[in-house]
Amino acid sequence: MNLAADHAAPRPALAGIGLRSPHVGEVMATRPSVGFLEVHAENYMAGGPALASLERLRADYPVSVHAVGLSLGGPDELDARHLARLKSLVDRIEPVLVSEHLAWSVAGGVYFNHLLPLPYDKASLDVVCRRVTRVQEMLGRTILVENPSLYLRFRRSTIPEGEFLAALVERTGCGLLLDVNNVYVSCRNFGEDPAAYLDAIDPATVGEVHLAGHAENEADGRTILIDDHGSPVAEPVWQLHARMLERLGPVPTLVEWDTSLPALDVLLAEAAKAGRLLEAAGRRTQDAVRV
Amino acid sequence: MQSVSELAHGFARAILGDADGTLLESIRGDGLEPAARLAIYRNHVFTTLTAALGATYPVVCRLVDERFFAYAADRYIREHPPAAPCLVEYGETFADFLAAFPPCRELAYLPDVARLEWAINRAFHAPAAAAIEPALLREIPACDLAGLVLALDPSAAFLDSPWPVDRIWRANQPDADPEATVDLDTGGARLEIRRLDGDVVFRALDGGTWAFRAALARGRRLEDAAGAGRAADSAFDLAHAVRGLLDDALVVGRRAPTFPMEEP
Repeated sequence: MNLAADHAAPRPALAGIGLRSPHVGEVMATRPSVGFLEVHAENYMAGGPALASLERLRADYPVSVHAVGLSLGGPDELDARHLARLKSLVDRIEPVLVSEHLAWSVAGGVYFNHLLPLPYDKASLDVVCRRVTRVQEMLGRTILVENPSLYLRFRRSTIPEGEFLAALVERTGCGLLLDVNNVYVSCRNFGEDPAAYLDAIDPATVGEVHLAGHAENEADGRTILIDDHGSPVAEPVWQLHARMLERLGPVPTLVEWDTSLPALDVLLAEAAKAGRLLEAAGRRTQDAVRV
Repeated sequence: MQSVSELAHGFARAILGDADGTLLESIRGDGLEPAARLAIYRNHVFTTLTAALGATYPVVCRLVDERFFAYAADRYIREHPPAAPCLVEYGETFADFLAAFPPCRELAYLPDVARLEWAINRAFHAPAAAAIEPALLREIPACDLAGLVLALDPSAAFLDSPWPVDRIWRANQPDADPEATVDLDTGGARLEIRRLDGDVVFRALDGGTWAFRAALARGRRLEDAAGAGRAADSAFDLAHAVRGLLDDALVVGRRAPTFPMEEP
């Protein structure tokens, strides 16, 4: 396996949508124009009609498999059955991208089904590196790891998130799934500068970008941004994304929407907007090559 | 300093119950109480899992109303958090939980409604399996037939309830007549639930057919399943019942017998 993959290598850089079950029927029936479809791996592991639909869709669309339950940073070792089911799904669907999160969700056999935060220190980094390597060996391919949205930080954290991810990429050969909304949410929640976070990212390590909406909540008189994927992408996130594309060039970009799921057309329009930014970024890259 | 693993276990305990001092000290306030930051994660976990239970048990939710459902779900999640990573597989024991949940004691039919909804959920996600050609059964020597164990469509489930759960379920669909009522004294239901052409369907079976098919689904030998059919209905006819299985495309293969002592 080539662990030194260049995650920014030339590839069709298109805008896609997160495919959620209420939209599957309409996508099957109308085959809308969209660059790729991304699905949550765990929703297709039971087999049955969901997997059958996905097998039909993959004939017409590139598919990205986004796992949410491997618990790369948790106290429990990787669940061998879960990993085997992921491998079986990946072998069957042959996705263009496979991704997971810098997070944990399993402890003592309890599967919280939610992305929980881990401390960023050397001990954590060792754990995550070992797990990512194991997953990549099992799947026979590299994966992308996504930066989480955070609502708390641990005192013991000694490594900034960007450096933690860069070290993970360096040691395992994985790529980054850069969620620009998560960068915005986390930085705003801790009074940090999202532009500085993005400027420190090595564009060659980014294999995919995620965009989504967030909510603003009040907690004890403070505004906390919540990554609820329940609204259009916020304007400041579009601006950060445009700024990031200047350095990234075109990269597969996904619009996610999970709560208060809108009509498919609304989601497709968000993806089309991301697609126009990608086209513009592609033209700039070509111009730069010509110069 | 505690290990990364101890920290996560402390976090996990705090999600399902109370945060201990060591965990709270490990969290930076950043302008908020650490407990308030932790509560954001706890809310997300419970919202996600409650929504997953609500998606699997919409009729139970409608019968008890959303607020009570959220209360019951909260207790269930604390006592029976998910033990596997796929949300569609979460909640199998919810019916048993409701049966033992004191605030639901008056709603004696509720656990069986939940069992029906679980069977529907399970059928929807079950792997597909093609029915065997009926001719394959005829090739089996007559002397082997009695000991034969048939594998049924993996989506099929058989539910026996003293309550009219099928009518309760239908009366609580979004498109049902809101004025319609179900008389709980109209008798029980013996149901077969399965997926057909992508849709989950269920129907009532007569006592002999239900007992026969339910025994087969539990891995009983054909001879023993026939015994169960006759015990439920003295007029039970095995040849007729096997034809029914094949006509309904329920048989997908044969399997090793399950010994009766394994029955719960």
